[in-house]
Amino acid sequence: MKEYFKNAWSALFTIFVGMKVTFKHLFVPAVTIQYPDVKLQLPERERNRLYVNMDDCIGCDQCARACPVDCISIETVKGLPGEDLGKTSNGKRKALWVTKFDIDFAKCCYCQLCVFPCPTECIYMTDVYEFSEFERSNLIYDFVTLTPQEREEKKINYAKFEAEKAAAKLAPAAVKPAESKEAPKP
Amino acid sequence: MNVYDIIFYLFAAITILSAFFVVTTRNIVYSAYYLLFTFFGVAGIYVLLGADFIAMVQLIVYVGGILILLLFGVMLTNRITSVEIRSGSIHVVPATIGVALFAGILLASMWNTEWKSVDTAAPAATTQNLGFLLIHQYTLVFELLGILLLIALIGAASMARK
Amino acid sequence: MIYDFFLKITGSNILASIIQSLLPLFIFILPFALFAVWLERKVSAHMQDRLGPMRVGKHGWLQTVADILKLIQKEDIVPNDADKPLFNIAPILVFVGSYAVFAAIPFSGAFIGSNIDLGIIFIIAASGFVVAGILMAGWASNNKYSLLGAMRSAAQIISYEIPTVLVVLTIIMITGTTNLATLSEMQTGHFWNWMIFGGPNFGIAKFIFIPFMIINFIIIYISTLAEVNRTPFDIPEAESELVSGYHTEYSGMKFAMFFLAEYANMFAVSAIVTALFFGGYQSPIGYLGNLFGAHWLIPIEQFIWFTAKGIFFVFVQMWLRWTLPRLRVDQLMAACWKYLIPIAFVNLIIIGLITVL
Repeated sequence: MKEYFKNAWSALFTIFVGMKVTFKHLFVPAVTIQYPDVKLQLPERERNRLYVNMDDCIGCDQCARACPVDCISIETVKGLPGEDLGKTSNGKRKALWVTKFDIDFAKCCYCQLCVFPCPTECIYMTDVYEFSEFERSNLIYDFVTLTPQEREEKKINYAKFEAEKAAAKLAPAAVKPAESKEAPKP
Repeated sequence: MNVYDIIFYLFAAITILSAFFVVTTRNIVYSAYYLLFTFFGVAGIYVLLGADFIAMVQLIVYVGGILILLLFGVMLTNRITSVEIRSGSIHVVPATIGVALFAGILLASMWNTEWKSVDTAAPAATTQNLGFLLIHQYTLVFELLGILLLIALIGAASMARK
Repeated sequence: MIYDFFLKITGSNILASIIQSLLPLFIFILPFALFAVWLERKVSAHMQDRLGPMRVGKHGWLQTVADILKLIQKEDIVPNDADKPLFNIAPILVFVGSYAVFAAIPFSGAFIGSNIDLGIIFIIAASGFVVAGILMAGWASNNKYSLLGAMRSAAQIISYEIPTVLVVLTIIMITGTTNLATLSEMQTGHFWNWMIFGGPNFGIAKFIFIPFMIINFIIIYISTLAEVNRTPFDIPEAESELVSGYHTEYSGMKFAMFFLAEYANMFAVSAIVTALFFGGYQSPIGYLGNLFGAHWLIPIEQFIWFTAKGIFFVFVQMWLRWTLPRLRVDQLMAACWKYLIPIAFVNLIIIGLITVL
């Protein structure tokens, strides 16, 4: 009998204790961050969308080789001998036209492995993390600064140059001119 | 024909139609739910008769209690839908005699009763008078009925324990 | 009364009755459900140190309107193997049951759906339809979770109706009336005339009543909480075990009807508690209308007081929901049959003795 009333009382009493706790929490300021309006300060070394500074890129393909998921694809064309391709910011002379530098962010795993091998530190992580798209193909980013016509032009120029060189090499011999017309592309 | 007549016929129709379906439908659960509407219709008719307390008790006891118990019983049996409900006709002659007798009694009482056809005033609340009657005039009957119910309850409980 | 007012305007008693019976739905239940859903989400959020809906309107106050708009556009799915007629009737029956309760609730001195003499008994009777509807929904869905939820719900509602009725009986014994409007009128004046403070008759009995009244109030609050299937008594729709109980298979507006019925029920039981123990629509401190001599103001004030008290108890229901974990089935039944009913019985006997002496 005594335990019966003790049970009833403790049930009632503990309900009120619990209610006190929840009532206090009613006035504790919320910890919610109103995301699109208020954004959390990200740490300095956060890893988000990659960026390639094409002014510095020498087209060395090291980042593409380092990538574990093969999301970077690079194509380059050699510059012509007389052409000045400019210099990178740490003084290296560029020798290749980069005609394709695509990063597929649908594949990218944000591991940052591509950043370290870069000799000119032209590929790096930014703090942009809101880049969702409706089409998966929109997630393939093209970083090349040249226009499509320019890229074609560079390719044709180099092919022409190669052809001319081959022709010049073959000219003295003048044997089988048709054989090496098809210059192997780099 | 005023509004009350229309309401009366509505309730009467609900009662009779659903009572008819209770008997004829093949699905036990449907039967039980038609019974709900029968009880509801009867409660409505009680209200129109001015027996407000009886109507409420009808709803509490039958809809809230007995019907729910019935539904529980039906739903706890397996094979609810495929239960064979036998509705063939057997013992036609005794049944006819019984029904004829019963109908005769009903009709006789209907013809021999003097029905009030004058408009009466809106019926007053009956609860208080009912309570007085139960406690003053019919105390013994009331208590005896209570004891009977208690005995039935205890008996049911002891039978269920075996 | 509001009926006479409409009778004067329309000149037809049928039209007046129809308007009067629709009035609680449109001026009360729908806005209340909208508000209560929003309140529920806000209260739950703030008790968990969150914010809750914030984007539709200021602090999300239009969120429920947006949700209703979404529900209206949703496809009305009826499962293939469901019992179609019963499946369609069930939400209506549940809603009718919880709406019928509002006919007898005295919102204010001038606004009570039907001033029937058996108000409180009628409310108990009408809630029987809710049980039938819930069982119907559970069975017609042809889903084991629905059926289990419906069974649990019905068992729970029936069990907890007993302590509710016992407490109601004590109040009937003290006041000698089952009419909720009369009951509210009796508790007029100031808050010390409320039933929880021993009722309007000043005397030695009043002070003896107080502890028993508080126990009564706690019992009826717990049992009505169980009757509307709210946490900690929400085993009929326990999400972790039964998906969502008897309305698992419902979608669109039929689901909305269950939802509306649930919130209407929440207010209805709060209103019963208010009317029985906390003075109904009576103000605890007197009326502004009396102060300024503007008597037309009093019913409006009474309505505001009644809704405020009702919403306070709804808030306490939500508060309990976010405080207590769910009971097991055996605990639920033990709480009812071993604790609430015996205590309510003893209370009934003691209060009966005090009333007689």
